[in-house]
Amino acid sequence: MNAAPTNPVDLGSSTNIPKLTEHLFRHESGKLVSVLTGIFGIQRLQMAEDIVQESLIRALQTWPYYGVPKNPAAWLTQTAKNMALDIIRREKSFRDKQDQIIATVEQWSSKAETEDAAKFEDEIKDDRLRLMFTCCHPLIPQEAQIALALKTLCGFSPIEIAQGFLTSEAAIAKRLTRARSKIQELQLPFEIPTGEELSLRLEGVLKILYLLFNEGYKASSGESLIRESLCHEAIRLATLLASHPATSDPKTHALLALMWFNTARLAGRVDSDGNLLLLKDQNRNTWDQEMILRGLVHLGQAATGDELSEFHLQAGIAACHSMARDYTSTDWARILAYYDRWVEINDSPIVALNRAVAIAEVSGPDEGINAVNAISQLDAIKGYYLTHAILAELESRKANYKAAVKHWKRALELSEHQAEKAFLTQQLNASQTAA
Amino acid sequence: MATEPTLTHQLILFRGTDWHRGLSPEELQGTMSRWNSRIEDLVNTGKLISGHPLANSGKLVSGKKATVSDGPFAESKEAIGGYLLLKVADFDEAVNIAQNCPALPHGLEVEVRPIVPICPVAQAAQMTYEPAAALA
Repeated sequence: MNAAPTNPVDLGSSTNIPKLTEHLFRHESGKLVSVLTGIFGIQRLQMAEDIVQESLIRALQTWPYYGVPKNPAAWLTQTAKNMALDIIRREKSFRDKQDQIIATVEQWSSKAETEDAAKFEDEIKDDRLRLMFTCCHPLIPQEAQIALALKTLCGFSPIEIAQGFLTSEAAIAKRLTRARSKIQELQLPFEIPTGEELSLRLEGVLKILYLLFNEGYKASSGESLIRESLCHEAIRLATLLASHPATSDPKTHALLALMWFNTARLAGRVDSDGNLLLLKDQNRNTWDQEMILRGLVHLGQAATGDELSEFHLQAGIAACHSMARDYTSTDWARILAYYDRWVEINDSPIVALNRAVAIAEVSGPDEGINAVNAISQLDAIKGYYLTHAILAELESRKANYKAAVKHWKRALELSEHQAEKAFLTQQLNASQTAA
Repeated sequence: MATEPTLTHQLILFRGTDWHRGLSPEELQGTMSRWNSRIEDLVNTGKLISGHPLANSGKLVSGKKATVSDGPFAESKEAIGGYLLLKVADFDEAVNIAQNCPALPHGLEVEVRPIVPICPVAQAAQMTYEPAAALA
């Protein structure tokens, strides 16, 4: 490195050094890994990841002394490019394709600096979609798909992923290794599928994004900052899909709408002490109206074509909640109608359990309890705390406090999370006092 | 004898060129931003005379034959990764600045060394033999 032996005048001469965009490193990392993978080939995914990490470290080593460059993203791209070229020239395995690869690398970095910038951005987008389809390939175990997407596309470290998923760093490292070796072993392609395959594979990608989002959205598990990031990263990736002609499917928009509606209400789910709040007790002023609006826009775009996916139904339900001024004005009849359709295409007892809540709102607690008892796979969810919490709530609405106490106690035994336990204890005490 | 300077020169050495290995992009950015603002403070208060990062590797020259060998190696816990030359009230102030280094939690070590106005050996010699010529 030929650093000019000057004093750090760059810093001294300007009091307002450029401030970095929030998450710039994480987001650039996701982009650069995709682009480098496009150049090196998916077999060298790990190499792309290493080069990007090294470029970020280089920034950390030099920017404090010389100041933040005017265009930090371009600096990182250039640095990654130089390192990539070094490796290509040094490594024998690249020799037969060396000239071609070097030409590609030089082309993409010069494009980034000229008027072709927009075109370059489009190419990056394509690379990111390709990498998304590889990471979410159905032949990779599902958990490993999520971990790999977070690592390569979103720039999370194994420790951060572990914090989000309440597991160990070693477990995540293992999933990553498994995913990378599956890619090698099965020679998985780095491409956006076409024709009939596209729709099927897109469904797989959407499912992974849905799981990723839910992992972040799940109440009271994992570290909260990381969890919120998971939601926002899921939105970023889904937005990428929604803005690309190949993947801008009504289902994609439905999922994105669902994500916006739920993220809009994240902050309202707990009180100032971090206690969980029921929907009816939430302060609706904390709901982010701009996000709700975005949700509505995507819900509108989802309403084309004739397919009614589970994402459509969930987004519809979330929209009803998001748009109700207060709890009492919630359109439960419409929500129940969505649940009725949902149980037709998904026989999950969890969906049926949620439907029972809607039934109770429309027809009263007795009908709600009947609906819970009528769930065909009720045994499968008897060990789920929410089943008992819902029964307890419905019993107490009937002023049947003895039965309510029994169910609150059972729910408390089954719950594993501190915030949930605190909430359930509070409810239990209220029912005991009333009994 | 020279008069006591009101400000002292202190050298801060950052030890370790491998501590950032396992950091995530988010952590790297956070550490860098904090580091930037610390150095900016030093510049704005006129306490920083100079400072530079060092390349991770170089050469080591040693022995009677002035043998040149590789080292320090690219990544090590001891190698110096950069330095700051400060002009501050005293040693304690420099130590205090070192304690604010944002990379400490990640394993970087910071060495603080006062720049002595005169070599201690020469100073001792001066005291023993007294001739003023020792200053020359």
